[in-house]
Amino acid sequence: MQPLHLLEKKVLKTLEKIGEADIEGLSRASNLTLDQVRRAVEWLQAKGLIKVNTSQKTTITLGSKGLEALKEGLPERRLLRSLKEGLRTLNQLKSRFSDEQEFNAALGRAKRRGWIKIVDDCVELVNEPGRLPEEEVLERLSQVNILDEEELTKDTILYSGLKELLNRPDYLSRRVVKTTQITLTDLGRAASEKVSEEEEIDTLTPEIIVSGIWRQKRIRAIDVEAPAPPIYAGRKHPVQLFIDEVREIFVSMGFEEIEGPLIQPCFWNFDALFTPQDHPAREMQDTFYIKGEALNYADAESIKRVAATHRSGWKTGSRGWGYEWREEEARKLVLRTHTTSITIRYLADHRPKEARVFTIGRVFRNEKVTFKNLVEFHQIEGIAVGPRLTLRDLMGLLSTFYKRLGLEKVRFWPTYFPYTEPSMQSVVYYDRAGKWIELCGMGIFRPEVTLPFGVKNPVLAWGGGLERLVMMRYNIDDVRELYANRLSWLRGSPICP
Amino acid sequence: MDIEEKAEDYIKVEYNPNRPDFSTDYGIVRALKGLLGLEKGCPKYEVHRSDLVVQVDKSVEEVRPYIVSALIEGITLDDETIRQIIAMQEDLHHTIGRRRAKVSIGLHNFDVLKPPIIYTTETPEFRFVPLGGVEPLSMKEILDKTPVGQKYGWIVAKHPRYPILVDSLGQVLSFPPIINGELTRVTSATRNLFIDITATDLKAAEDALAILVTTLADAGGVIRSAEVRYPNLTLLTPNLSEMEMKVELRRVNRLLGLRLKGEEAVECLAKSRIDAEYDGKMLRAKIPRYRVDIMHPVDLVEEVVIGYGLDRLTPTLPPTKSVGRPHPELKRLSAIREVCVGLGLSEVMNLSLTSEAALYTNLGRQMQEAIKVEEPKSSEHEYLRDMLIPSLLLNLSTNIHEPYPQRLFELAKTFHRRGGEIVEEYHLGVITSHSEANYTEAKSLLDAITQQAFGLRCETKPASNPLFIQGRCAEVKGGTLAGIIGEIRPEVLQAFNLRMPAAALELNINQAIKLEAKQHK
Repeated sequence: MQPLHLLEKKVLKTLEKIGEADIEGLSRASNLTLDQVRRAVEWLQAKGLIKVNTSQKTTITLGSKGLEALKEGLPERRLLRSLKEGLRTLNQLKSRFSDEQEFNAALGRAKRRGWIKIVDDCVELVNEPGRLPEEEVLERLSQVNILDEEELTKDTILYSGLKELLNRPDYLSRRVVKTTQITLTDLGRAASEKVSEEEEIDTLTPEIIVSGIWRQKRIRAIDVEAPAPPIYAGRKHPVQLFIDEVREIFVSMGFEEIEGPLIQPCFWNFDALFTPQDHPAREMQDTFYIKGEALNYADAESIKRVAATHRSGWKTGSRGWGYEWREEEARKLVLRTHTTSITIRYLADHRPKEARVFTIGRVFRNEKVTFKNLVEFHQIEGIAVGPRLTLRDLMGLLSTFYKRLGLEKVRFWPTYFPYTEPSMQSVVYYDRAGKWIELCGMGIFRPEVTLPFGVKNPVLAWGGGLERLVMMRYNIDDVRELYANRLSWLRGSPICP
Repeated sequence: MDIEEKAEDYIKVEYNPNRPDFSTDYGIVRALKGLLGLEKGCPKYEVHRSDLVVQVDKSVEEVRPYIVSALIEGITLDDETIRQIIAMQEDLHHTIGRRRAKVSIGLHNFDVLKPPIIYTTETPEFRFVPLGGVEPLSMKEILDKTPVGQKYGWIVAKHPRYPILVDSLGQVLSFPPIINGELTRVTSATRNLFIDITATDLKAAEDALAILVTTLADAGGVIRSAEVRYPNLTLLTPNLSEMEMKVELRRVNRLLGLRLKGEEAVECLAKSRIDAEYDGKMLRAKIPRYRVDIMHPVDLVEEVVIGYGLDRLTPTLPPTKSVGRPHPELKRLSAIREVCVGLGLSEVMNLSLTSEAALYTNLGRQMQEAIKVEEPKSSEHEYLRDMLIPSLLLNLSTNIHEPYPQRLFELAKTFHRRGGEIVEEYHLGVITSHSEANYTEAKSLLDAITQQAFGLRCETKPASNPLFIQGRCAEVKGGTLAGIIGEIRPEVLQAFNLRMPAAALELNINQAIKLEAKQHK
């Protein structure tokens, strides 16, 4: 049997004693408040231990006019009585009534029923009726105070008297009353017998523990199946969790993390990456510019070499873009459009012969926000530098990276990026969606990019958006949802989906 | 080139902007023939001499100095060919042409013209009937009233005279780079084409011409040259002579991780439609003129691997001696995150770019120090935030129907003007909101974070700030930490549609994570 609450036990025991009762009755008999009884009754009913019958009846009691009529007689009776006393004229008769309306009503009723005749101003008694049904009803009520309407309707005379009186204001008062009858079921009787009368401990308090009261009393069993109110764990943002995961993968593959500013001079975002100054990607409608200019953004020699590379290839073996490079374009400030501005700066600062570094960070594009595009998103990027690194090594590094993310099937094909050659695109097979999805782009940095900064060994590079991976992980179709910060998602999505 | 979509009777391909020669079927077929081995090596195109002369007037130097030209004879243009040629013209305008600013192309019905052709300038009042028009319009009217004029007019508008191309009778071929004349309209009846390419850069013009005439030759035309006479220079265009470039075979193999023999590499290049010879050390390549994307020997390396087939390369995992590690400062951020999460706070991530209302107006904050991006597509992403609490208030605002208490934190970069420079600093923002949220709770959180994340105890001194209730706001200081804490003003709550009280704190942790990072090194 389910454990019973203290209130339930009290109500059960009370019912056992008094047999049947309504809520008020139970409250009086058990010394519980009405509210406590109501709660207990609800629980007990749900458990099938009690039966609650509700019924409704209509009661009739005397109104103020009814009481008056009981003492003085009905107005029409009083009118007939006055006639018998010898009064004749309307004025004489009226003087016996305090309320003119009442007099008129009585006169009208007596005339309609043929008890009197009116000739000019004089009233004549024609015939005096016996006891009226209305008088019968009033008489009954004077004996019992309260009548059940249903009972009255069984007697046709009483019923017609009742109808008549109900039409007259304030004679009778008619009320609909709901009654509740609570009784024990067989199950309830059995349960009640098992309930011990002894008092139980409801809540274990420090006092009870210290005083040792708990040795004398039982601790009440509770409903362990009942629902409990929700609480929410403090959580990392799902995108951050994913960043942590990617970071761990890079580190496990021997990569060191680098980081850098979000605002970059065009030099590091574009020029150092051999993006010509009239390239469409550099226009304001694609890139966020910020007023101002960078000072001391690079050493003079590097700037000279980059300028020469753009113009005619410098000593890189390239034909160059064949235009006059302008430094004021390079000084302009942008919100970085890719994390490659960080990796190229690392290469320029460290001129490594061998290295593995990675970065994960925000990048910006001046785009319309849609379910596919955000103005601000994360990129992951890894580079490996070494004297003998090859395109096949790049494929191997990326395949390993994807495998660690749980993406087993990878395919590569040639593509174009302005600062890598050869360049490749990768797609991975995404089981849950049953399709191939385009992920990271990659390639070997062009000599036009690396040689001006004194980096002579091949630099393998790959990178791509982080959000697409997060969306795959969490089954999200609209990229905007990632940064809507809805608590229903932040609190509700499992950490290990 | 990627295959985008395969269907019964067509495939859809995507090509990259460095290959405008792929903008028609002809270019794609040319490349596929090589890869499938149907036709290998450099495609040969003959340029026949003609007596056509294009005279260049000195006055164009200021506005659009270069023109190159060609004749295409005996071509049959069905609607599909015209559609494809127009697609190529658009693609060239967009890529090499930099939206016509650098290069623009005109195609004309040659048979209505009386050579020589003259490239000169005219005043903005000069009138002719533009393509698609009936009445003559002045060049000024064309710039002001026609859609193409409005779109590209800026390229020439600042000059006193505009470029114009006329024949010996003064008939107008074109007003480059805006619009052609109606006279020379190309239709499916046109058999002989005159091509003009005007530009601010001669090499770019020649690149575009090479791509266009080789495609028209593939479509069945015969290429004839034009003699372009500049005041002190004469050019014979188009010049389709192949570009020579060499690359060491060892370099190819080292970069790809292959061991190709000389003749194998030559074969791979042939499949990529490049002629090459191997001299025992170097691959000497002859590259067709339309391959304007090849500018460095590494580009030849890619051509080798495309000819070889990228899918034949097996991935290898290179050995390494390097030891990985996370960035020390970012590692510190992770640790701070752990403390916040342990305190029951939910992490949120917001964009750095936000709106004027969310960052300033709704909060009654002054804008003097605001950092703004230029020409954003939406005013929702216009200002770089210098503070995180405004974003946290927005987050509460999107979650008013979620159960309370709501306790959020964010760790992110903020942007500040310092002595004429913009600096980026990491901030930590925390907000708590529920029916009993108050200053004391915020201070408890502050103490817990500063002590457990940084081992610091912070002082809170009375301060005033438009975000917070006067008398319930304090400046936070302790060691390298600095910040602000308080109960959010009801006016601010209302501006964000919030009905629950909220208390917040924000710390500049930039210095603190730097110091810690040094100690951990």
